[in-house]
Amino acid sequence: MSWTDLYLGPGTWILAVAAGSAVGMDAVSWPQVMISRPLVSATIGGLLLGNPAAGMLVGAVLELYAMRHPPLGASRYPDTGPAGLVAGAAFAAVGGQALGALLLALAIGWALGWIGAVTVHVRRRVNERIMSPASELAADPGLLEQRHRIAIGLDALRGGVLVASFLIPAVLATSLGVGTGPSAVGGYALVALVLGIAASAGSAARVSAFGIRGWPLLLAGGGAAALLLLGGLP
Amino acid sequence: MPLRSDRLAAWARTFAVQGSWNYGTLVGTGIAYAMLPLLRRIYAGDPVRLREAVERSMGAFNGHPYLCAMAVSALGRLEQEGTDPEKIEKFRTALRGPLGTVGDRAVWAQWRPVCLLVGILAFVLGAGPVWSAAIFLVLYNAGHFIIRTWAFLAGWEAGLSVGRLLKGVWFERWSGRLWPLNLLLTGAVAVLLSARLMAGQVEAISSIAVLGLGSVTALAAFRFPRQGGHMAAVLLMLAAVLWFVGGLLG
Repeated sequence: MSWTDLYLGPGTWILAVAAGSAVGMDAVSWPQVMISRPLVSATIGGLLLGNPAAGMLVGAVLELYAMRHPPLGASRYPDTGPAGLVAGAAFAAVGGQALGALLLALAIGWALGWIGAVTVHVRRRVNERIMSPASELAADPGLLEQRHRIAIGLDALRGGVLVASFLIPAVLATSLGVGTGPSAVGGYALVALVLGIAASAGSAARVSAFGIRGWPLLLAGGGAAALLLLGGLP
Repeated sequence: MPLRSDRLAAWARTFAVQGSWNYGTLVGTGIAYAMLPLLRRIYAGDPVRLREAVERSMGAFNGHPYLCAMAVSALGRLEQEGTDPEKIEKFRTALRGPLGTVGDRAVWAQWRPVCLLVGILAFVLGAGPVWSAAIFLVLYNAGHFIIRTWAFLAGWEAGLSVGRLLKGVWFERWSGRLWPLNLLLTGAVAVLLSARLMAGQVEAISSIAVLGLGSVTALAAFRFPRQGGHMAAVLLMLAAVLWFVGGLLG
């Protein structure tokens, strides 16, 4: 695919940045309804580029990668809202078909999630300054409310800036994967992707499991799905 | 006495309780922000006591964001009853642990994963992407809103006694039964998603061999989740590199 074949209109870009603000803010600040999960944000990204199914395919894989990182206390975890949106939009923008493009979109989504995590850390530090000194804020509750809302606004800005900065580069990079057909070596790429999904599923499952005693259930779920596939599930 | 509208405003503000989350007070400033509609009514006409109440409400606090609604209403109740500030501080400290643990176990470890997996399953079984996302969002947020609202109402009713409510709380018991389903769905989703990605792509690769390798990989990652997560990331990057190396070699 030539770069000149790509067209990302300014209206779509603006909508994507606005959606990036919403999903960026949702994860922690407001309202935590989980539009920030990659399953949703990548679908939104795909929808904006006219191919929600392509977006969700990216989002479903990124979701398995993200599920092993519950947001416990001050732990660091990938910021999946803007990352999923960018990756889903990028794959949709280049047709949503080529496996090479899918692999690039996934790699970009994963990396951007961790770049987003750094911005979350910076934001936590900035909030420390915004919300002090305590005595001054306590003396003026209106100021406390104002600062709290500014902090939420900054989080929205953070999500929007991430999408604004990375959407076009991600689309251009993902387009490199279009037209590169499978080969003998390339076939192993697919195996690596599938094993990556297996590894992420295995580690994600431990979040829900109590210890390691549930492994037969993990295997049984996979086995049942394989039997369904053999039975002719589309 | 706070009016119903004050309590409704405080409940609505709990959705933004983590808005100013920071390493100093964690969710503390957010708790004060959410409590303000209650505190303003309780200390109407007494700016000195209002300032004192806001200052103690801003102290360091942590908890699951949905269950912080319980802290907001219970602390508001104590302020309304004129409870001794030292007792309020002890109560805050005692509440931090359970609100975090219970919420993390019930929501982050069980309810959210199972809803996500149902959403992905719907997609890989042929439901449209918008419908699949909607299934996840509606299902998950039904639980989210119920827990948040229950927590707020229970906190207001129980005041100092919320600790007793949290022991074996209904949603922790209920969600605790979801773990087998979570494991079954994780295995099923991984296989179905992989099959979808492999469909018609590379015929030379044996599906049975990949299934076997995938099972071993998943079990190894389950046993060693931290290393498994790292391995998953390396495999993802390796996949992209291999594809392009293959392209270059023809």
